[in-house]
Amino acid sequence: MTTPIRVVIAEDSAILRDGLVQLLVDRGFVVTDAVSEPDALRRSVERDCPDVAIVDIRMPPTFTDEGLRAAIDLRRLHRGLGILMFSQYIETRYAAELLADDAAGVGYLLKDRVADVSDFVDALVRVASGGTALDPEVVTQLLGASRRADSISVLSAREKEVLSLMAEGRSNVAIASELVISEGAVEKHVANIFTKFDLSVSQSDHRRILAVLRFLDS
Amino acid sequence: MVIVVSEELETRVREIARTILRTPFTKRTWSELFFLVIGAALAFFSFAFVGVTMAAGVILAVTFIGFAIVGLSVRGARGIGGIHRGVARWLLDEQIEDPDPFAPRPGFLGWLQSALRDRIGWRAMAYVVIKVPLAAFGIFVAFSVWFDSFTCLTYPFGGASRPPEFGLVQVFFRPGFFSIGSSGFLHGTAIFFTGVVLFLAAPWAVRVVVYIDRCLMRALLGPAAMAIRVRSLEHARAQTLDASAATLRRIERDLHDGTQAQLVALAMRLGMAKEKLADTDHLDLDQVSELVDDAHRGAKEAIIELRDLARGIHPPALDIGLEGALSTLAARSTVPTELTLTLNDRPTPAIEAIAYFCVAELLANVAQHANASRASITCAQHGRWLRLVVRDDGMGGAQLSRVGSSSSGLVGLTDRVHAVDGRFDIVSPSRGPTVVTVDLPMHA
Repeated sequence: MTTPIRVVIAEDSAILRDGLVQLLVDRGFVVTDAVSEPDALRRSVERDCPDVAIVDIRMPPTFTDEGLRAAIDLRRLHRGLGILMFSQYIETRYAAELLADDAAGVGYLLKDRVADVSDFVDALVRVASGGTALDPEVVTQLLGASRRADSISVLSAREKEVLSLMAEGRSNVAIASELVISEGAVEKHVANIFTKFDLSVSQSDHRRILAVLRFLDS
Repeated sequence: MVIVVSEELETRVREIARTILRTPFTKRTWSELFFLVIGAALAFFSFAFVGVTMAAGVILAVTFIGFAIVGLSVRGARGIGGIHRGVARWLLDEQIEDPDPFAPRPGFLGWLQSALRDRIGWRAMAYVVIKVPLAAFGIFVAFSVWFDSFTCLTYPFGGASRPPEFGLVQVFFRPGFFSIGSSGFLHGTAIFFTGVVLFLAAPWAVRVVVYIDRCLMRALLGPAAMAIRVRSLEHARAQTLDASAATLRRIERDLHDGTQAQLVALAMRLGMAKEKLADTDHLDLDQVSELVDDAHRGAKEAIIELRDLARGIHPPALDIGLEGALSTLAARSTVPTELTLTLNDRPTPAIEAIAYFCVAELLANVAQHANASRASITCAQHGRWLRLVVRDDGMGGAQLSRVGSSSSGLVGLTDRVHAVDGRFDIVSPSRGPTVVTVDLPMHA
């Protein structure tokens, strides 16, 4: 068995914090620490060097976006630390800020997603190993709010599905299994999307997400 | 015979004597005299402006120019009012509130219409017109008393060549009064003492004139009574909006931190249980039942939290009326509480809600801070008013302050009460008892 992924949790609601610890331990993760405020999170990351941090956006003292600020700091200080933002609301602006320089090892999920335990665990593993996990809601908002609505409308229905899953951070393999099509077909769709958007295809998963997001956001 | 003067009377007399002797030398006396002079000069120029422009305007009223000049005159009068206010503030320390600034409608015609309808400008003009005779009278009074006192005081020392008979003095003293003894010691002394009396009385004469002017300025140069009322209503409305925004924020916070978190945790546990049940090879029923137990408990807690939250937004007991709602509150209070209620009509729902939340908050305070053994609520209708009295026999010391968290609930209450023109009064000496009286209109 591979070495377990080490996780730190920063969440101010005790009920959720305990629940997350229970879930992650049950799924074989090592929870290095579970804290309730940003400063404790900074200290904890400094001390334990975990692989990934699950960070609630709204935390004390002001209950606005402390978690996000702490996460942005941590990403600058600790290269390779995965950050999974965890919130009850989706704010596209937060996603944009988080993805500002790099989409590697970043996730942004609604708290509701823990209800689908396996999907949540997959997303966490993806973020821990340098991938990306964006909530479908984030992707929907980005697609909906995009000023490139004309460009999106030239995509076929299937291509739109692939685009959404790609933007969430899924790999070609995952997209193929989700849509029950072959990997080759996925590759073809992706290539089509990039051609229609006039973007150069990148091999690395998170780079291509960034390209897509930049395109949608510009 | 012994004259018994009570000590109190003696000190009173001494106090009055001291005031009279000191007054001519106080800053206020000289400021007021100065104000009289400056104000008279100002009134002269103001009146000249208003008179000339209005006359020109009226003469030219057959043409459009006439109206423009009248507009200019009113607008100018408004500015003149501001100058008078400034002088009063500077010399008299008379804090007359500035009326709302002139806000003309766009365009020249809009400006003209606004100027012609500017009540503040017209009122300032009225002030200028009344001020002119007042200023003349003031100068006459001030000059006669001060000048006479000066000449009388210097007369025996050869200051004035003839007995002064000027202005007010003529009114109060018969002609020839100053001829007493016509010459010699008695003549000089009498006039000197008249001067002393005049010197001591002069500040008060000026003060009376200035007082009339103060009243006039307050009435004509400040914001109109209606404007003051509008301002206070605007303030109350802003407070109400702030309070409701704060309430919404609190509800959102409660939902976010409480119920929503509970439900997420609940969904998570059920998700785990579901996946465990699906994994038939390693099925551990104990683990699953523990998860379901936790989820079940979480669901029940979430229900309770939601119920409390809903009650905080609108107490269902209020639907059946204030009496039912208040008796529920009294019954639920941890301190034994007695309720007396005499209502002929039913207040409007907004008033009932404010009354309810006042009592709820006050009883909560009694339970938390007062250390009381019993409390009472009286709720009675007095005509168009509803009077709520919450009394406890606790240790007292409750106060309304905008700082500190323990009383912030009270401050929120007073804001709500003031928003409907009610009154909130708290009497809480240390060692108690605390009596809070809230007056609310029956119909908001």
